[in-house]
Amino acid sequence: MPLSRKSVALRHALLFITTTCALLMPIAFAAESQPTAGGKPDLNGVWQVLNRANFNLEPHGPKAALAMREGPVVPVPAKAVVALGAVGAVPAGLGVVEGGTIPYTDAARKQRDENAVNWLSRDPEIKCYLPGVPRATYMPFPFQIYHNQDALVFSYEYAGAVRNIALSDPGPAPIDSWMGQSWAEWEANTLVVHTEGLNGQSWLDRAGNFVSADAKVTERFTRTSAHTLHYEVTIEDSSIYQRPWKMSMPLYKRVGRDDQLLQFNCVEFVEELMYGHLRKEPLD
Amino acid sequence: MTHTMTKCVLFFIASIMASWAHSEPWSLQHLPWGDPDFQGIWTTATVTTLERPDELSELVLTPAQALAVEQGMEDLQEAIDNIADGDLQAGGDVGGYNSFWMDPGTRALRVRGEPRSSIIVHPEDGEIPYTIKSQLRFYWNAYKMLSRENNPEERPEGERCTVGFGSTGGPPMLPVLYNNNYQFVQSPGHVGILVEMNHNVRNVRLGGEPLPPQIKPWLGDSIGRWDGDTLVVETTQFHPQQFMRLAIKHQVMMGSDTRVTERFSRISESEIVYEFTVSDPELYTEDWRGELTLRRSAGPIYEYACHEGNYALPNILEGARQKERED
Repeated sequence: MPLSRKSVALRHALLFITTTCALLMPIAFAAESQPTAGGKPDLNGVWQVLNRANFNLEPHGPKAALAMREGPVVPVPAKAVVALGAVGAVPAGLGVVEGGTIPYTDAARKQRDENAVNWLSRDPEIKCYLPGVPRATYMPFPFQIYHNQDALVFSYEYAGAVRNIALSDPGPAPIDSWMGQSWAEWEANTLVVHTEGLNGQSWLDRAGNFVSADAKVTERFTRTSAHTLHYEVTIEDSSIYQRPWKMSMPLYKRVGRDDQLLQFNCVEFVEELMYGHLRKEPLD
Repeated sequence: MTHTMTKCVLFFIASIMASWAHSEPWSLQHLPWGDPDFQGIWTTATVTTLERPDELSELVLTPAQALAVEQGMEDLQEAIDNIADGDLQAGGDVGGYNSFWMDPGTRALRVRGEPRSSIIVHPEDGEIPYTIKSQLRFYWNAYKMLSRENNPEERPEGERCTVGFGSTGGPPMLPVLYNNNYQFVQSPGHVGILVEMNHNVRNVRLGGEPLPPQIKPWLGDSIGRWDGDTLVVETTQFHPQQFMRLAIKHQVMMGSDTRVTERFSRISESEIVYEFTVSDPELYTEDWRGELTLRRSAGPIYEYACHEGNYALPNILEGARQKERED
């Protein structure tokens, strides 16, 4: 049935409105994505990664477990984790390191490989130790940024870790700590956070990658949309790396009911692991 | 001459203006989104205890009494630092920290300038109004917690590093022997209260919904609102293991369903009046109320990584096992 002239006009009008809206939406979105705190992009909110960086920063295929042993045909999960089945398996990850691999010195790479073999006894995450920087930010837990012209605090769900970030250079850290001493400055619309004074006991993931107490960590947070941040990290540590290296990944803003931080105070969850053998009557 | 005179008059006028500017009364600042500004690092350190000592009967101290309370703490620290030399008896108490490791404050609590004999302002006797049943439970629980070394979960929370000693994290946030520092940080819809010991952040949701009843966090679930320029925070759903809050300066028994209402009113550049009410008809014969002053503290707050360096808990348990082997 031929369309009336009125219907054609209506269709054209609708097409025009739809196209215009589609063209204008990104502009409106971009405008919405740049609210300001003290004239700078507003970083307030609850953020989280959606990747496998905490399993291994480097590209990796899936495998049965983080702790493995030799099997009769192929390697199998170590006895201590075999009961976990698929829950204890490692999903594949594309990696977040620029260039694919971390440029360790030979000795440091050997150390990393040993760490991986001894993951169960060495990874600080297993004992619920503070995660260090930058690992805290890409663990599979949300963190909340409090941000205004006078304050910048990162509150992490994992282990209740916290970073109180100075807004000017406070000078050398007076003491080493798990989360280090951080201060921030703006480079255009990118928040640059400098961290030193780490205690060198932190790992970077569950694959044994690590930093030393000499590390200088520079994080860059750039707001890319209403719900995303581009997160880039440069680590300088000539004691274990051949050159400074970078990793990068998106951070996603949690919305609706998920826009709140719950609590993961894992200290109580590791008492059986750490002190179970000291009970008056140790459990079987 | 005229020139000098003009300069002198101008200097005189400028001085008066500067002094006016200096004496301008303090006013509460507001953040760009309109909330009152409570940000900064604050301390509750005071020699005054939660409950009133037997020797004091009135809430408000006379100047002489305030001086005596402060002198008492000074004498105690002096005594701790000057223990007589000599051999310690095997199996005896080897003592603890000297005063270098403590920071309990040097002054009696003053609320709006008034020196106080206790943090509790109600009931009038300055004591927690336990029911008879809960008083007995309190003694029994305290005895168990301080004497049993069979399992890590039986030890006080401060030793386990789950939260800080006593009720330092609260709420109510009560002063202990050291690390009585708190940082307030704000964003639209939120007030974060960072408790130095053990780096716990209470993320207070302004106007938020309570968590599902299955979730019972350490330090409870805190919902806030503004009553004019006063921050009001309601907290309940406490972690069931945070029920005995034992510290040298206070001992409090609370329940998962205990409700704490806190009111924070900033009265000057350097002071927040902190009022709290604790309600639980199961435990107390009536609501009890306390008042403290949060005083501006020079920052920053350093990391209190308790669990990572916890030698005490395994050593206490190992010591008990060793003693059993010897007996």
